Amino acid sequence: MAEQGDVWGQLLMAANAGDARAYARFLQAVTPVLRGIVRAKGGSLGAAGCEDVLQEVLLAVHLKRHTWEPDSPVRPWLFAITRYKVIDAFRARGRKIDVPIDDFADVLAADAGPDPTEAADMAKMIGMLDGRSATIIRKIGLEGDSVAETGAALTMSEGAVRVALHRALKTLAILRERHVK
Amino acid sequence: MKTDDLIRALAADTVRRPHLRTTLVLGMVPSLTIAVLAVWFVLGFRADLLTALVTPISVARILLTGVLGLAATRLALLLARPEGGQVARLWPLAAVAAAALGLLLWAYVATPADARQMATVGKTMTTCLVAIPLLSVLPVATLLYVLRQGATTAPMRAGFVAGLAGSGFAAAIYALHCTEDSPLFYVTWYGLAIMGVTLVSTLIGARALRW
Repeated sequence: MAEQGDVWGQLLMAANAGDARAYARFLQAVTPVLRGIVRAKGGSLGAAGCEDVLQEVLLAVHLKRHTWEPDSPVRPWLFAITRYKVIDAFRARGRKIDVPIDDFADVLAADAGPDPTEAADMAKMIGMLDGRSATIIRKIGLEGDSVAETGAALTMSEGAVRVALHRALKTLAILRERHVK
Repeated sequence: MKTDDLIRALAADTVRRPHLRTTLVLGMVPSLTIAVLAVWFVLGFRADLLTALVTPISVARILLTGVLGLAATRLALLLARPEGGQVARLWPLAAVAAAALGLLLWAYVATPADARQMATVGKTMTTCLVAIPLLSVLPVATLLYVLRQGATTAPMRAGFVAGLAGSGFAAAIYALHCTEDSPLFYVTWYGLAIMGVTLVSTLIGARALRW
């Protein structure tokens, strides 16, 4: 477990230094573990509901990744965000949940399965973005386009696409908050 | 949207946000400088400032409030991190409060009975109770902003330490002007001003620091 944490730490450190590939690997590595936690705590939400919560957690991890201190372990940081967002997600769905953080170490990682669940909430939120932001997220996320390809398709510079993507993701989190209230 | 698709979109976002400590320094240096300049130009430094700075009983309030500011700022930086709520310990703040109360008690005993009331009420109570909260506005706002850029999982506690930190610094700066050197005065009124600011900041934190 500790070893796994070290790998995550190295990936996240590289990610925070601007290495997008290391960052993708970090997110792919933590996702099954976070999914396991969400499912263990929120099985009553069903697979799609859990995937919604997981995506909220991932978005939060993404937007708050600068709060991780490279000299401190990744897991307590990651699990604190997860716990906060899982509680939040349950409150938003009108339920209360007790999430003792110590339990997280025992949770088994969960793969999405052969036919990954389509989560509905994030798509809804993306639909509420302005047209260009939504297009950028869809192109890069769903269609797997690179930032350069997206820029070419939208006649935007790569830098502008990056900034727009960053803003769009921040807006998604804000929309999410408002939607919840 | 599938989670893998989301991850692809997240990974493509390489815009880096500044480190919290950087944001803190960039905000606090001007905030505190403005507070010092405001005291200097609006209220004026006390005429015997240099003497006061080497008089233990007078400099004690600058030290106490300054230490409160530093200790609370450290805690705010810790609480700005998601895992900070689990590890932050508030006892250093209690130690500062205990030292202030000890000083108050000592002054009560050391001051002759008929002089106590005058020493406590002083002549500048109103200025003190208005100036310290006003001087707190920028530092507290800065700390709340830093906490919002962070990811606190303890919004109320974070608002609390932000209030203590900002008003602690504000009180230390106000002390450059204030000539009331009796702990009966400054523990009481500085303390009250700090508590007022902290209460407001706690309430703001509980609402505004959720994410």
